[in-house]
Amino acid sequence: MRALVIDDSRAMRRIVGGILRDFGYETIDAGNGQEALDALAEHGPVELACIDWNMPVMDGLTFVNRVREQPELRGVTLMMVTTESEHGHIVRALAAGAHEYVIKPFTADAIRDKLDLLGLLPMEETV
Amino acid sequence: MTATLLTSDLVLSVAEEVFAALVDGEEGKLTPWIGAPMPFAEPVVAWVDLAGDWSGRAVLLTERSTADDLARALLCLDPAEDLGDEDLVDAFGEIANVVGGNIKSIVATNGDLGLPHVATTIPDASGTIIEEVLLSWRGRLMIVRVLHLP
Repeated sequence: MRALVIDDSRAMRRIVGGILRDFGYETIDAGNGQEALDALAEHGPVELACIDWNMPVMDGLTFVNRVREQPELRGVTLMMVTTESEHGHIVRALAAGAHEYVIKPFTADAIRDKLDLLGLLPMEETV
Repeated sequence: MTATLLTSDLVLSVAEEVFAALVDGEEGKLTPWIGAPMPFAEPVVAWVDLAGDWSGRAVLLTERSTADDLARALLCLDPAEDLGDEDLVDAFGEIANVVGGNIKSIVATNGDLGLPHVATTIPDASGTIIEEVLLSWRGRLMIVRVLHLP
């Protein structure tokens, strides 16, 4: 399974990517929404995208909207991973087409629980 | 404006949660600072602006060597491993981003979080300090300051 990790912080990409690789994912990094769209165009659809909200160039919500405009990407599960924790932000992201929402700071267990809910844990990792 | 909801205990709680989850992988490494603060010889400051029906700024301030070690911890680097300025800005800025985002959830609604900034001087701001908490990360001073901006 492949996951796209979208965050303008290299440190955060490393943390999220490390957790996903521990769960058996192959990961692709992107520093903003536009880089992520470019990566999808280059590598094709992935099973999962973990998306920060506040990024330069293209923010996470715009990325979600752009992905949802493309029928060939409807199989990509979109999970926001962000410090934006207001109810209004969560509602906007879910309304735009995000499937799940993780608030920073998070633990590996929190990511695992979300992936389990989404049915996106490899079998040996299923709780 | 909901800044009256913010207390030093809440700021401490936010910082403890962020450090335990992201930096240390365990609780107890970040505690209240005991005694008078010492001046920073080579300060590094990171901040994010909080905008909405309440506008402010969350600031992290510490010694350069402490920020370097924080960045190494976040990036899972060996203590002796070289750390570039880019890594320091990225990692220390992200810690401020997560601390600031969680403070924003307490003090501001209907707003957005700015992108993090890192510098060696405290940013000019005509705001009012509404909370300042002195912390000890592994025995080294770190200050979290929350300002209300006009």
